[in-house]
Amino acid sequence: MANPKTGPKSLLPLTPAVFHVLLALAGGERHGYAIMQEVAAGTDGQIKMGPGTLYGTVKRLLEARLIEESDERPDPHLDDDRRRYYRLTGVGEQVVKAEARRYAEIVELARGKKLIRKPA
Amino acid sequence: MKTNFNNAPLAISQKTYRWLLRAYPKMHREEYGSAMAQLFRDQCRDAWNEAQGWGIMKLWLRVLPDLVSTSIRERLAALNERKTMNDKLTSLTRDRTTPTAIFINVFVAVFLITLIVATAITFILPESYASTARIKVESDPIDGPAQTPSYDPYFIQTTFEITQSQLVLNPVIDKLKLNVEWGKKYFAGQTLKTSQTLELLKQRLQLAPVRNTKLIAITVYSDDKNEAAQIANAIAEAYRDYRVRFRAESAAKEIDTLQQQYKFEEEQIQQVQSDLEFLRQQLKIASDATASRAPQEQPYWDKKHNLSQLLKLQELIYSKIEALKLDAQLPKNAAVQIVDRAEPGRAPVKPNKTLNIFLGVVAGGFLGLLAGGTSALAAFKFGNRGRKNVASA
Repeated sequence: MANPKTGPKSLLPLTPAVFHVLLALAGGERHGYAIMQEVAAGTDGQIKMGPGTLYGTVKRLLEARLIEESDERPDPHLDDDRRRYYRLTGVGEQVVKAEARRYAEIVELARGKKLIRKPA
Repeated sequence: MKTNFNNAPLAISQKTYRWLLRAYPKMHREEYGSAMAQLFRDQCRDAWNEAQGWGIMKLWLRVLPDLVSTSIRERLAALNERKTMNDKLTSLTRDRTTPTAIFINVFVAVFLITLIVATAITFILPESYASTARIKVESDPIDGPAQTPSYDPYFIQTTFEITQSQLVLNPVIDKLKLNVEWGKKYFAGQTLKTSQTLELLKQRLQLAPVRNTKLIAITVYSDDKNEAAQIANAIAEAYRDYRVRFRAESAAKEIDTLQQQYKFEEEQIQQVQSDLEFLRQQLKIASDATASRAPQEQPYWDKKHNLSQLLKLQELIYSKIEALKLDAQLPKNAAVQIVDRAEPGRAPVKPNKTLNIFLGVVAGGFLGLLAGGTSALAAFKFGNRGRKNVASA
């Protein structure tokens, strides 16, 4: 993973796994299972991350400081307090936004070439 | 459909996965091992709720390649990290990090993982028993029950279709209360509709002709060996009952038709007899006259001949009715004979444990070679880079 200090764009393009994990965490802090479910729901079940891929990605994102482990826990009555929660860092947020913009530009380009239409 | 989570397949799967986490480097395992095991447990629960044993198998088919590829990646990353620290010189002399040693380690790890998973899946899969009842079938005569059976080229195929039809299977479902029993067993106590049970029953039923004989083998598969035998026997009996019923109904219809015909003939005979008596009186012919055939008497003799024909026909119809009545009283079990009753199977027919484990060995060897070769190649590449860095330092 490149050094985030060189700017979010230096990290692009992200791998699909990294992008989906960051996207899942853009909705708030989540634990591993919730990230996996969010990714599966967001891709209509096309991407079902295994534990190895998910935690390998999490490890690299932590090393790159795009995400961080959260000490806060939701209501302990509602959840297992052994679960580890993760959230986006400021840099992580910038990176995922930059990647989303990159995708948006690609989509615009495809629309310009009439490969896809604007949603009704 | 929520299911009790504390069951053997899930426990075995989770235990196996926890054991397989050893494929990852120690540091990675210590940091993320418990979280990965917890995520796998959650996935197991979802997979079980979705499709029980089949869901668990699909999960393993997804998780196993993930585990192999990510564990190799983490091991290579750990190796690279170690090299970049200050261990490059010693790495040149340490056997554990040479490409050959890595190949052997990865090969053994992948081979064992694949074999263990194949074995675990084999033992997780629900066992299925088969029981076979054999029946001897004779075709029904085309011209009615009183006739001898004739050759019907479509008879066996027709028998198969009838055996799988509602006519035969619905009585089996009712007799064995399968709507309730299978509802309890597979659908959390919810009583099934007969149409649903019928579909399930058809999926478990296999019919096959016994070559060069009039025998048909009725095989039923079930996870309960006694149930498989009960169902196979019930189907054989239901088919026999159907044939008896069919023949009885056909005979009754034929008798009814012939009786109507008999009545009609009787009315005609009475009419002809009346006309004949009128002619006899008109033509002044003696009641016992037989020889005189004067031309003016011809209508009388024609009518008498007609009466004789009608009486013969009526007699024929009467004989046929009596024959059918007699036939109806005879037992009809000869059309279908249960030659062999189904017995509970001694051993499950599915899964084929020997075959599955053999396939596990073959697949493990192939994947091991692939993963070992890739890892050794990567280690060789990193090793060369490390040596260059050391040389230039």
